[in-house]
Amino acid sequence: MSVPGEKTNGSVLATQDLSVWAGDKQILKSVTLEAPDRTLLAVIGPSGCGKTTFLRSLNRMVELSHGLRVDGTVRYLGQDIYDARVDPVLVRRRIGMVFQRPTVFPMSIYENVAFGLRLDRKPEDEVEKSVVGALQRAGLWDEVKDDLDRPALSLSGGQQQRLCIARALAVSPRVLLLDEPTSSLDPAATQKIEGTLQELREEMTIVLVTHNVAQAGRVSDRTAYFYQGRLVEVGPTADLFENPKDPLTEEYLTGRFG
Amino acid sequence: MNATEDSLVGTSARFRRRRRVDRWLGRLLPFTFLLVILPLLDMVYWIATRALPTFSWATLTTNPSGTSGGLYGPIVGSAEILAISTTIAAAIGIAGGIYTAEFASERMAATVRFTTNLLAGVPSIVVGYFGYFALVLYFGWGASLIAGSVTLSIFILPYVFRSADLAFASVPKDLREASLGMGSTRVQYIRRVAFPVALPQVLNGVFLAMAIGLGETAPLLYTAFWNNFPPTGLNQPVGYLTGLIWNYYDEPLSFGTEVTMAFQAAFILMVVVIVLNLAIRIIGGIYARRLRGLYH
Amino acid sequence: MLRRLARWAGSIPALLPLGFLAAIVLTLVFATGLENFGLSFFGTDWNPSTGDPSKAVFGIMTFVVGTLITSVFALVFALGLSLALALSIVFYLPPRMSQVLAPFVDLLAGIPSVVYGIWGFWIVAPVFGETINPTIVRYLGWIPGLQGPVIASGVGIPLAILILTLMIVPVTTTLIRDSLRAVPQALDESGLALGATRWEVIRRVDIPYAKRGMWSAVLLGFGRAVGETVAVFMVIGDATKLPASLLDVSYTMPGALVGQLDSAFIQPNYLHALAELAIVLFLITFVVNFAGRRFVSRIVVRPTGALSVRGAGP
Ligand SMILES: Nc1ncnc2c1ncn2[C@@H]1O[C@H](COP(=O)(O)OP(=O)(O)O)[C@@H](O)[C@H]1O
Ligand SMILES: [Mg+2]
Repeated sequence: MSVPGEKTNGSVLATQDLSVWAGDKQILKSVTLEAPDRTLLAVIGPSGCGKTTFLRSLNRMVELSHGLRVDGTVRYLGQDIYDARVDPVLVRRRIGMVFQRPTVFPMSIYENVAFGLRLDRKPEDEVEKSVVGALQRAGLWDEVKDDLDRPALSLSGGQQQRLCIARALAVSPRVLLLDEPTSSLDPAATQKIEGTLQELREEMTIVLVTHNVAQAGRVSDRTAYFYQGRLVEVGPTADLFENPKDPLTEEYLTGRFG
Repeated sequence: MNATEDSLVGTSARFRRRRRVDRWLGRLLPFTFLLVILPLLDMVYWIATRALPTFSWATLTTNPSGTSGGLYGPIVGSAEILAISTTIAAAIGIAGGIYTAEFASERMAATVRFTTNLLAGVPSIVVGYFGYFALVLYFGWGASLIAGSVTLSIFILPYVFRSADLAFASVPKDLREASLGMGSTRVQYIRRVAFPVALPQVLNGVFLAMAIGLGETAPLLYTAFWNNFPPTGLNQPVGYLTGLIWNYYDEPLSFGTEVTMAFQAAFILMVVVIVLNLAIRIIGGIYARRLRGLYH
Repeated sequence: MLRRLARWAGSIPALLPLGFLAAIVLTLVFATGLENFGLSFFGTDWNPSTGDPSKAVFGIMTFVVGTLITSVFALVFALGLSLALALSIVFYLPPRMSQVLAPFVDLLAGIPSVVYGIWGFWIVAPVFGETINPTIVRYLGWIPGLQGPVIASGVGIPLAILILTLMIVPVTTTLIRDSLRAVPQALDESGLALGATRWEVIRRVDIPYAKRGMWSAVLLGFGRAVGETVAVFMVIGDATKLPASLLDVSYTMPGALVGQLDSAFIQPNYLHALAELAIVLFLITFVVNFAGRRFVSRIVVRPTGALSVRGAGP
């Protein structure tokens, strides 16, 4: 999967001195962080520390919020995604996103997953293959294979969220960003999604924002801890959890666990 | 996976086409505002051009006399009709709005809102027919200031009503609970807590109703009838600006005195309506800021 | 006891709108004298025969046709324009620009009907009579319905459609705009996050989601157009005959009501016929508004402009 001529250093997505400003308030403070290939990077930190803003600046969604300004670089396979020649539409094609709450479109299950593919006018057999594949990878196929034409809104919350993951996977992105995808779900549904993520992390790059530290422990390879817009510490999840280097991280983790 | 698929610069023909459609729509759609703004400017320009050359102090201070004269009578008449009908509509609308938002059961509130919206959809001339048959004929009020004003008040009632209802329904729930929790009665809560919060939006509805009432013609033609002079009593026929335009606009001489008077009346109406609209905007802004403060 | 009385008395103002609706219906029914004009009431022959009332015929179809033609065309134009305006306001314009431009649409709603009328009659009509209608006939005259006649003064159906369009655009724009604003922002962003362009998300996600609001715009806009009285009367020519083409003069239901009541004062069957015409008009607008209002989603006040509702203010 390596791309000839690209200096990726093994990382698919890398930020360099990434800052985000709202007016003269700095929401994100010079974050330098890498997301290596085929790993799941968890981003944790207290509410309001800039997790969502960080995630949204990785696929230029941040530009949709009026009044936010981005500084620094984000490289996708070596290309600066904020380069003037880069089209945000293509950035989002390669770097998919799943939101805090399920956001199924008012159409059938099948059409939801096919949404991105239809934009390219892919032939129907190809669309169908991708839809089935995406549903399988998202762990939803067995539950919906008999009623793909049902309105997506008739699914349960957990199923809807997995449908959103399938929808994002269908356009075969290289990176998947998830913003607290289980925060509105019950434990059983959460468990299913975590299972899905554990399989997906073998094949792609995932950045998972979560307020649930235990979840980060369960599913991630690496964890980054944010506090007040700064990246405090990042490292292999086990290391970070067992011996946090920064007292702030330790305080947060112990506050959470004990 | 290959280099072109990972490239973030769109090059395929299909992609460029998708992008082009989007970009051109983004550029062109806003120009549709010209289709709104140009007619408005044309209207303001031409009505001013036809009204202003002969506009003088006397226009505002003398009564119409058959085919010439000023607009004093209709101006006073419009003001009196507006004052009476707004008072009636505001009294009913605010009381009804408060009841709907604060006291009514959910089902009743839904029904009241629905019927209020239906009343707002009744054509103005149908309300005028009601005024003519019911008030002028059957009640025997005759075509008069009071018959016209009451008819108009029915027509503008929904606008006050909806605003008052919305205003009180939008007062944050915790304010109400805090207030009632501290032992104040419902009425005290409405007077001391809810009313100050809701007031701008209530006023907004009143101004909106005034702007609409001032511009209406059909409810008045057969209920207020016409008078060159300011009315001397509630039971007297009354002239008003929209009626003057209605009566004079199609006189044969395009630049004759009657048509000019009609343009002058149109000019006055336009100016007042624009000022009222500005007031509504400003008050609306205050209200939005105030509510936003309360919700934060 | 006293409290219950107070509560009961307090509900009266809230019930008055319903009371007025009922009073309007009862009055109109009473005003018809329950006179039965038979099937000829739905014919095209309207002749009050003021000299000899016994020879009068009252067929309302010419007014119905005039109303429907002008309303349907105005609605189609207004919906197109409104969709463009609402999309600009909600999605394409920067918020600052929206705040400056959107009030002009509201202002259009504030202009009095008679002012539209006098502007249409004296300022716009000549443009139709001298330029627009002749041009239509010259280039599109081969299309049935556009073959003429050209009314020299410019009054007639095309001018009425233009004026009506301007008058209902604020109604339809507000409804479409609000229904687009009610699309959850996360839904809209999900479309963009899949690599769809702004327009693709609008077409495939936002508009389908806002469908109910669009229907309310169709119905309530139509109701407004059908009921518009004075302005249309002033610019449509008021000819009691079926229009020979879409360029001809015509007459509408509200127009006939407002234009003829004074001629009917002393002729009972004429009054009865007008009252029945008023009932027909009332019923049409009532049904359309009834249906339209059922589509308007409940008002939700979220003045914070938070995630769930795009844009600012309640
Ligand atoms: N569009 C915006 N304008 C101004 N401030 C914002 C905006 N979006 C987020 N913020 C602020 O940035 C900070 C970080 O927000 P966010 O990224 O949502 O944090 P988290 O997801 O970690 O809870 C918060 O203080 C928030 O108020
Ligand atoms: Mg967040």
